[in-house]
Amino acid sequence: MSRISFGYSVSEGKVINLDQQKPAWLEKIFELEPSLHRCISCGNCAAVCTAGHFTGMKFYRICLNAFRGQTSDLKNDAKACMLCGKCQFACPRGVNIRHAIMLMTQIQKP
Amino acid sequence: MHPFTIPFMAGFTMMFIVLIIRYSNWFRGFSTENRKRIAGRMFTRRSIHALNEIFRESLLHLKIYKTNPILGYMHMSLAFGWFLLIVGGKLETWYYTGNFANPPQYAIFFRFFHPVTEATGIHRIIDFYMEFSLLVVLSGLTIAMVKRIRKQVAGMKNTTRHTLTNRLALTFLWFIFPLRLLAESATTSIHGGGSFLTGITSGLPFHPAVELPLWWAYSISLGVFFVCLPFSRYLHIPTEMITILLKKWGVEPELKLKTNKGLQAFEIHSCSGCGICLDACPAIGVGDKKFQSVYFINEMRNGKDHSKTAELCLSCGSCQQACPVGIQLEPLRISARENLNSEMRFNHTYLPSKMILWRETTDVILFTGCMGRMNPRTTQSMKKLFDEAGIGYVHADEDENICCGRPMVLTGASEQAELMMSRNRDIIHSYNAKVLVTTCPICYKQFKNSYKLNIPVVHHSMYINQLMEEGKLNRHHSNLNFSYHDPCELGRAFDCYEAPREVLKRAGHVVALSKEKEKSLCCGNNMGTILLERENRQQITDKTLMVLSENNPDYIVTSCPVCKNTLSQQSSIPVRDIAEVLTDLPEIKQKTGERLTAMRESHIN
Ligand code: SF4
Ligand code: SF4
Ligand code: SF4
Ligand code: SF4
Repeated sequence: MSRISFGYSVSEGKVINLDQQKPAWLEKIFELEPSLHRCISCGNCAAVCTAGHFTGMKFYRICLNAFRGQTSDLKNDAKACMLCGKCQFACPRGVNIRHAIMLMTQIQKP
Repeated sequence: MHPFTIPFMAGFTMMFIVLIIRYSNWFRGFSTENRKRIAGRMFTRRSIHALNEIFRESLLHLKIYKTNPILGYMHMSLAFGWFLLIVGGKLETWYYTGNFANPPQYAIFFRFFHPVTEATGIHRIIDFYMEFSLLVVLSGLTIAMVKRIRKQVAGMKNTTRHTLTNRLALTFLWFIFPLRLLAESATTSIHGGGSFLTGITSGLPFHPAVELPLWWAYSISLGVFFVCLPFSRYLHIPTEMITILLKKWGVEPELKLKTNKGLQAFEIHSCSGCGICLDACPAIGVGDKKFQSVYFINEMRNGKDHSKTAELCLSCGSCQQACPVGIQLEPLRISARENLNSEMRFNHTYLPSKMILWRETTDVILFTGCMGRMNPRTTQSMKKLFDEAGIGYVHADEDENICCGRPMVLTGASEQAELMMSRNRDIIHSYNAKVLVTTCPICYKQFKNSYKLNIPVVHHSMYINQLMEEGKLNRHHSNLNFSYHDPCELGRAFDCYEAPREVLKRAGHVVALSKEKEKSLCCGNNMGTILLERENRQQITDKTLMVLSENNPDYIVTSCPVCKNTLSQQSSIPVRDIAEVLTDLPEIKQKTGERLTAMRESHIN
């Protein structure tokens, strides 16, 4: 039986695929900085971000994408950070954002 | 020589050989510049200053004495008492043999070889001196034993734990002097002689057969202690003295931290494990992992993983200030972080470079930094104050700001902060100004120490104080009580304690606190920490607020945006920046048309 086409499709990014395993290095980052699990993508971190003023870098995006296994831009985005720490003041969930970013810039592969 | 001296001689020789091997390894790690420094300064006055410091700190332990008199006495009596015994032994044997270069074991076991019986003047004096010195050592030892058993006696809340070699060395160190007393007493009771101390103890019923075994036991405990010394924390005794010399000769830390190389090796092994850094640390008892300096140094010394102890610390500088040995703990930690995070890569090439077409001339460049953006009230107050004093200013990072780079330096990525720094430098140099005023102590430290700017840098508390002294700003004295929180990066880092207090004293009363100035606690959010959890940071903030709330002040005042944000989130007492105090508090009123002298008088009254 073929599918009926309604003329639109679900784009990849909007699918949450629970079968997909997080890559080992990503698991490692979550293990070394478990506070990442607390992120609720509220966006406060991006609102105050010093680096975000110059680039499109948004920490909540990095985090959200990492949860979804989308990691292609992760390292490059993280590299823009200046470690100024404003985001940590704004974060309502006490995420150790600077440490998470420090770990992300160190990953070998992507 | 009698065979019972062999254990001592063997142990002493072994210690000597091991020390020479270890030290020459560390010496080999010195850079060429450092070698030149040593060679050029060895025969200058610096060495005499070093000897003076060695006498004051390695023997008398004056710094520990100032922090904690009982602990100081303990260290002093052990080190200085032993020193008195060594000097006395040398003089004694020289006097009796007429030969200065007699072997050390002759002096150490002198009473056995020469149980003095003549009771003439000089002998009496020598005997009295030797036994008095022994008594001094024994009194220190008693405190040490009591301290181990009941650590509160010496006033220390926290004592360090010990590894096996440390325990072995400690046990035999404890045996040495009581055994010496027993052996000398036995000899005295059999052959006569002695002074006030053995005069009492020789009354014990010593059988002639125990004399020699006691001397053997004394010799063995000395021998074992010396064998253990280079592998235990007692290595700090000789190492500390060499470190003092090296520092006086201007030796700098090597660029890359290795625990067996250069000045860092000497510093790490100079730590006596005294534990004074524990009581100084604002984070003591916070979190599961103890990361205070003594643990950090111990891990490095033993080649263990020190990532946690290096990265949890807040870099508040409290322990470095308190350390009686003067170990440069913050640079050590930052170098350790450099090694740990060497894979970290940042890229700030996106930062726009500044085109300078025309250099605006003004009095002051105001730089408020990243954290200043979260505290716009402080910035507005500063601008009001500039206007009031008739000072022209530009706000360099009003529209967009680039981090000063210090947070990055603190994580061990100092090289990667260079681009940010050079962009900021260009911005600052694009104005013709007399001075750079920053409202953030973190920026202040970075600008002052690493930027090499063409104008002086001052912190806003210093600048306000200066304006008040010049009479350009003045305030009526109010009845408000302020408690002032010293930011780590301004207080301990620059000894800037008086300028902000002077400002506050002109506007109200500054209450005294149980921990302030160099002893002030960290607000809990120092940029220095990488790993500390928020809950733990909040615990520190609570402790700090307890101190700041003593005497119920009307306002808690500070001069750092990080401290202000952190404290105000948990404080029931309002927290203000020092600039806001002068502009925003309704109780504080501007004096109009009055000159400096009038203001000074009201201040004195
Ligand atoms: S501020 Fe904190 S909780 Fe909010 S998105 Fe950023 S990291 Fe997540
Ligand atoms: S530390 Fe990095 S992510 Fe956080 S606000 Fe600063 S630049 Fe942005
Ligand atoms: S680091 Fe300094 S204060 Fe701490 S235990 Fe060592 S010598 Fe004592
Ligand atoms: S720098 Fe401060 S937080 Fe770190 S160990 Fe020393 S006293 Fe504790």
